[in-house]
Amino acid sequence: MNDLSEIENELRKLRPARPSPILFERIEEAMMDRRAGASHARQPARLPYNRLSLGFGLAAAAVLVLFAAVNMERRQERGEKIAQNSPAPETRPVLPAPRGESEITRSTFSNEFVPAGATRLVYNTRDEGLQFARGSGQPLRRLRHQTHETWQWRNPTTGASLRVSYPSEEVVLIPVSGQ
Amino acid sequence: MKKKNFGGLDKIIPWRRLEYKDREKVMQNLASHEDWKSCFSEVAPGLLLFARQWVQSAADAEDIVQEAFIKFWRRNHKIQNRALLYAAVRSIALDFIRRDSRRARREATAVGETNEFIEPQFEFEDDTQRALAEAIDVLPCEQREVLVMKIWNELTFAEIAGALGISQNTAASRYRYALAALRNMLQPQ
Repeated sequence: MNDLSEIENELRKLRPARPSPILFERIEEAMMDRRAGASHARQPARLPYNRLSLGFGLAAAAVLVLFAAVNMERRQERGEKIAQNSPAPETRPVLPAPRGESEITRSTFSNEFVPAGATRLVYNTRDEGLQFARGSGQPLRRLRHQTHETWQWRNPTTGASLRVSYPSEEVVLIPVSGQ
Repeated sequence: MKKKNFGGLDKIIPWRRLEYKDREKVMQNLASHEDWKSCFSEVAPGLLLFARQWVQSAADAEDIVQEAFIKFWRRNHKIQNRALLYAAVRSIALDFIRRDSRRARREATAVGETNEFIEPQFEFEDDTQRALAEAIDVLPCEQREVLVMKIWNELTFAEIAGALGISQNTAASRYRYALAALRNMLQPQ
């Protein structure tokens, strides 16, 4: 290869890898979705009204906040008691405390949360193709799972529940063996 | 309203080099939102190759191209703004890298030093082509992107300059440097 045009010709013979057929389906899907939503979202005539209503809404909210602030100041000037202690609990334990068990122990028990459930929703799985581990001849298939996990705890004494949800991703390498 | 007809376009049209007239036609269709599937199958291999410069996996490159193409299609860009499609791919790819750098580090730590992707960027016919593809991989990034845009996406230097935000002269010289570097790498010792 002595000339730049020669290498240029060699490069032109090289064909880029073709996209996967799934890509076409995904784009078509995305375009259908957007086309369906576009009729409402992209109407220029409606845009000024939306802005106007947003502006009115914000103005109204600002007036309310100002009114509340002025009202609070007046009350403080009059010496009104604003903060109040929370009322005493109306419910009492039906059963008397067992002998030897103090109130402190009971309150510790009432703060205990026990696991009530866990869900793992896999909403997308993507095949990222084959790869080789370095120094190994065995191919591995790489799968990426996108999930949404939810954990739930419940306090049996008070009936309160606590729920934590978060998105997560998991990459799994599966050995592929040829027959 | 006229309904778009996507029937009979399910097959992927094999990659072929476009003549100038074809290219104009393809991009015209692309801009007028007609027959997007056949348009996309013409430009997709070049766009994917362009995106693969920044990401290792073909799946990630496809995500980037999908996002860029839909943006381009939706905004009804004209043929004169063709460089915008490539600029969009570039911008989304760079965002992707920034967003995913933490994820990539975490995954690299998790699987140790075992990651080596074998998804090729080209379809090889012989060892010479394989060597050429390997040589392209080691080019500096700014030379490689100009080369990819020029050879496999058939953009003019003016369009490349527009997409990358550089002057036409810079684009042309980067292209020449890339060719010279490849020639030197492939010359028998």
